[in-house]
Amino acid sequence: MTETITIKDAKAIIENQIEELSKRNREPEWMTRIRYRALEAFEKAPHRDPVISEEELLHFIAKPEIEGVPEHIESIDDLPPEMKALLDRLGISEVEQKYIAGLAVQTDTGVIYNEFLKEWEKKGLTVLPTEEAVRRYPDVVKEHFLKLFRVDESKLTAYHTAVWNGGIFLHVKEGLKVPFPLHLFFLIQESALAQAPHIIIVAEKNTEFHLIEGCTAPILLKHSLHLDMTEAYFHEGAKGQLTVLQNWPEYVHTRPMTRAKIGKGARFINTTVTLGSGKSNIGDPRYWVDENGYVELNGILLGQKDFYVDLGGRMYLQGKGAGGINASKAVIMDESTVITRGIIQAEAEKTRGHISCDALLMSDKATMETYPGLISKVDDAQLSHEAAIGKIREEELFYLMSRGLDEEKATQLIVKGFLEPMLKDIPMEFLVEIRKIIELAVSGGM
Amino acid sequence: MLKVENLHVNVEDKDILRGVDLEINEGEFHVVMGPNGSGKSTLALTVAGHPRYEVTRGRITFDGEDITELGPDERAKKGILLAFQVPPEVEGVKIIEFLQQVLVELKGLDPVEAYDLIVKKAGELWFKEEDLHRYVNVGFSGGERKRLELLQAVLIGPKLLILDEPDSGVDVDSLSVISRKIEELHRKGTAILLITHYGRILEHIDKGDIRVHVMKDGRIVRTGGGELVERIDREGFGGIFEEVGE
Ligand SMILES: Nc1ncnc2c1ncn2[C@@H]1O[C@H](COP(=O)(O)OP(=O)(O)OP(=O)(O)O)[C@@H](O)[C@H]1O
Ligand SMILES: [Mg+2]
Repeated sequence: MTETITIKDAKAIIENQIEELSKRNREPEWMTRIRYRALEAFEKAPHRDPVISEEELLHFIAKPEIEGVPEHIESIDDLPPEMKALLDRLGISEVEQKYIAGLAVQTDTGVIYNEFLKEWEKKGLTVLPTEEAVRRYPDVVKEHFLKLFRVDESKLTAYHTAVWNGGIFLHVKEGLKVPFPLHLFFLIQESALAQAPHIIIVAEKNTEFHLIEGCTAPILLKHSLHLDMTEAYFHEGAKGQLTVLQNWPEYVHTRPMTRAKIGKGARFINTTVTLGSGKSNIGDPRYWVDENGYVELNGILLGQKDFYVDLGGRMYLQGKGAGGINASKAVIMDESTVITRGIIQAEAEKTRGHISCDALLMSDKATMETYPGLISKVDDAQLSHEAAIGKIREEELFYLMSRGLDEEKATQLIVKGFLEPMLKDIPMEFLVEIRKIIELAVSGGM
Repeated sequence: MLKVENLHVNVEDKDILRGVDLEINEGEFHVVMGPNGSGKSTLALTVAGHPRYEVTRGRITFDGEDITELGPDERAKKGILLAFQVPPEVEGVKIIEFLQQVLVELKGLDPVEAYDLIVKKAGELWFKEEDLHRYVNVGFSGGERKRLELLQAVLIGPKLLILDEPDSGVDVDSLSVISRKIEELHRKGTAILLITHYGRILEHIDKGDIRVHVMKDGRIVRTGGGELVERIDREGFGGIFEEVGE
């Protein structure tokens, strides 16, 4: 870091970006006003990130793109050769390879799904890039945009809100049950602006859906800071699943911000599969759960190289009979560090919550810490937690090897098996890729 | 085929085996008996190549080759298979996928062939097809685990099968199935090293054919024919140990 970026400099840069975005998106004024409000909040908002200092954050803002990523990728052949080789080994389809290369941006995938989604739009399913939703459905967006966050909570929420771009808007109308998983790639942006997609999910009464976001293969990103924000609203009886698949390049810091309101009898299964070797990933999602509602936060994590992961998760069980599960399974390799600190707070009678954390340490330099938090404000809540941190058991390894599998194959089996029970809701085509990635990681081939 | 010479084994800083000699030739049937803690499982695990069992003296050869330093997977590839006294649970690994991989790697079958074979043989050991989609040994009863060990032996068809108490914790009917399978494998040419406490498992085996070794404190103190099994069943080890001055 050579020159010093002052907070004034950063604000000037953000302001430019806001102007560019509002023009590019032909944005209504109310949205641009939200951006400016966030810009104002940026200066005073606190910054408390354990990895990225305030100084570094200002640098990210001034220079969001990293060097060394090929400037012009016009075809898959322009990808770095090692990456291309890896994608071939994983058997990644061409469509997905394009996405990974940043070729298939939102608009491309929009085309793929277009015809199909039009049919479903008539039945009450709206899936749109968030920018487009802002123009087409201003009332619904206004009602749900930035309602679960405050701009001035932190510098990161303020910065995200000021420059958000990309992301999707999913709206499922009352009673509609979407019978197939919606798989959308929507993270990649062609612009030089920050990576800050904003996702809004509105599931009306008695709806059902499964949204899968991202992909399992490593993606080529130009940005080293990724700030996505998800706001999800589940009305009475809605059942939704959000599965996030991610495989970050080793220079990427991610700060996912997710919050959801879960209505009476609603259910939200929020699963994140993190397979890469990013730089750091810090998130603390929050869920407010009403009467007989249920939320499940599942984290599946493969920590490689010096990936630093700190996963929180707060569940406020506010209605009678509400339930929450925060479960994670981490395979921690190399010099990676994983910390989990889920909190479940029981605020109403007959609520139940459970936190579980399992970790498999694959190297002497891998670190795992877990701090489960259970808070009860009532006397009949059932709250529990369990944690198991360990290495591969010698007896298991010996057993598999005594059947003729070499150490690498036996280890792969054990590691895949360790994660397997958490992958129950992942569709087969992704499961196959996830398993291959685990195998490659275990044999040091990533 | 298998030759164990003056084998000394140390586990967790304790000398457990203190000079074991044992030779097993192609297709032979050997039985090892002895009180709890006498070193029977230690012998089995050492021959199979458990890394925690350190050979401090002596050696193990198989088909003329010194295998004392080989890893368990390489011993398996040479034709040695151990059916465990206490098979461990392997969370998340489905029996069918595991066995398929073993048959593909060890026997060169293609996965579909392997699948069909596994389902067929599983039936003979009273496993239903859906049982094969459970995780290896997870939540299995003692007796089920022993049947699963036998299933693996039947599928792999090793040159030398070491069975560590395949009869303990097994109900009468299962015992009969297991005993019959052992006899079948033996008939097809597999050499057997069977560790047991009771003669019942040998009900389908011709006693005239077997060699019996009695262990005490990490040594084989007596070797004889099938009559030793009946004698131990009847009167325990006391008399035998007295005769050999132990
Ligand atoms: N991994 C180990 N760590 C510590 N001690 C061990 C270990 N394995 C075996 N031993 C000790 O070695 C001795 C022999 O044990 P082994 O399991 O070989 O006996 P065994 O003859 O198979 O007994 P049993 O009939 O009860 O199965 C025992 O005293 C046992 O406690
Ligand atoms: Mg034993």
